Amino acid sequence: MTQTVVRAQADPRPVPAPDDVTRFYWEAAANHRLVLQRCQTCHKMQYPPEICCVHCQAEEFEVARTSGRGVVYSYSVVDRPLHAGFVDALPYVVALVELDDQPGLRILTNLVDVPAGTPLSCGLPVEVTFEERGPVTLPQFRLLRSPS
Amino acid sequence: MSTLAREVAVVGVGYSELSRTGEPNPNTLALAAAKNALSDAGVTKTDIDGIFEYKFGPESPGAQDMARLLGVPDLAAFADIFPSGPSGVAGALAGVMAVASGACETVLVFRCLTRAAGHQGGVASGPDAISGRDQFLTPYGYLGGILVLLGLKKQRWMAEYGRPEEDFGHIAINARRWSALNPRAVMRDELTMDDYLSSRMVADPLRVLDCDYPVNGAVATVITTAERAADLRQRPVLVDAMAYGTGRGADWIFDTDFLYGGAIDCANRLWRRSSVTLADVDVAQLYDGFTPVTVAWIEALGACGRGEFGDWVGDGSRLAPGGDFPLNTAGGQLAEGRLHGIGFLNEAVLQLRGQCQDRQVPDARVAVVTSGVYPQCGAMVLTTV
Repeated sequence: MTQTVVRAQADPRPVPAPDDVTRFYWEAAANHRLVLQRCQTCHKMQYPPEICCVHCQAEEFEVARTSGRGVVYSYSVVDRPLHAGFVDALPYVVALVELDDQPGLRILTNLVDVPAGTPLSCGLPVEVTFEERGPVTLPQFRLLRSPS
Repeated sequence: MSTLAREVAVVGVGYSELSRTGEPNPNTLALAAAKNALSDAGVTKTDIDGIFEYKFGPESPGAQDMARLLGVPDLAAFADIFPSGPSGVAGALAGVMAVASGACETVLVFRCLTRAAGHQGGVASGPDAISGRDQFLTPYGYLGGILVLLGLKKQRWMAEYGRPEEDFGHIAINARRWSALNPRAVMRDELTMDDYLSSRMVADPLRVLDCDYPVNGAVATVITTAERAADLRQRPVLVDAMAYGTGRGADWIFDTDFLYGGAIDCANRLWRRSSVTLADVDVAQLYDGFTPVTVAWIEALGACGRGEFGDWVGDGSRLAPGGDFPLNTAGGQLAEGRLHGIGFLNEAVLQLRGQCQDRQVPDARVAVVTSGVYPQCGAMVLTTV
């Protein structure tokens, strides 16, 4: 069996295209910070970013850094190709993470760095980490290491 | 008396042939369903003054296409409802509103689907840079139409209520119990719980037997005033109540109520408007694009409380022929084939007319129909005299 050296290809997975509403989020991610819009009127945070507050409809936000901690609200393990860009990424875990910062505040993410055979369940504590994908940085979540 | 401005009746139902193979022309399918519905009702193309249909894209002709192919001289109201409505019943709900308001007298509604358009499990491709709301979804592999979403919904339901997968299996098994009695259904073999639990994962924990079955086919319905219905061919089926619902935070994944979306608001609105209650319902036709959707509707309609479906359903026999809650008597989209909602409406009509032969629910006089779910809820109560 001969070994073949394969040149690293560009990551084929799609990346976000930031716009005027979302740019702050991706720019903060590039600096390894998970930030969200926080309404200056009702002080609730929201995800994904919107042009106004979905809780009280006010239009002024501050950019709030989150704790980066939460729990797995739900998850699905994808082990068959649903998109050409993810063929080499299988299997992967899509999760909704509920952040500790606010009840019901959920982020869609992947669970990354999950060792094979690790049992998953809703409620597991997780923390944010950051994935470099081409020119973009994506917030991701990993299982919180239990204190030893 | 309904709460509609004019009393409305469903007077005609029609189907094309449903097939599991081939690539039939969508116009051929839709036209066949429409002609069958008109013939069933005993109306002609010149009676039609409104057409409403639900579509994703080129898998279906539009309202004007249908008017041209059918030879309808003019339309007083029409709409192509692109896929943010309560699935295919969106067209029927629009048709009911058009007739109730007086905008139209007799409307044709339809949904046409092809396997190629309806199959969400294939390998997609797309742009490398994702804009809009999808920039927070697609880069994370949230794909397959809504397959991954339904994996998340099913997982959360089981975790929140501490229930096993078998609860969803009862919906899948029930579909085949009824489809065995429906010659039109494409999937008619019996299913066991072992079959369900050993079926392959599409987005773990969502199994292939949680998903409806794509077919080539079209289904159509004719709706008119109750007054006019009295002179037509079939026993009139009256629209007792109709409702939409989105729920708070209207969204498929970031909705406030992740397990039900707008289903509870929609069901509560429906019952407030209805002259009957769930206890009066003889037959239920509840959307089953995925089994968690049906479970959500059963709970939302009030058959049992949130999370109580597993205890309520027992061994599943209450949903089956002879049970006290006959559910999806044509086999639903899981077994008759994915017709995006209007299949449920037409089956309810056939049951209330007493025309379902081997699968007829005795003395069925009240039916509830739901379509879509989460932020795209629609529902109707149908009655006959």
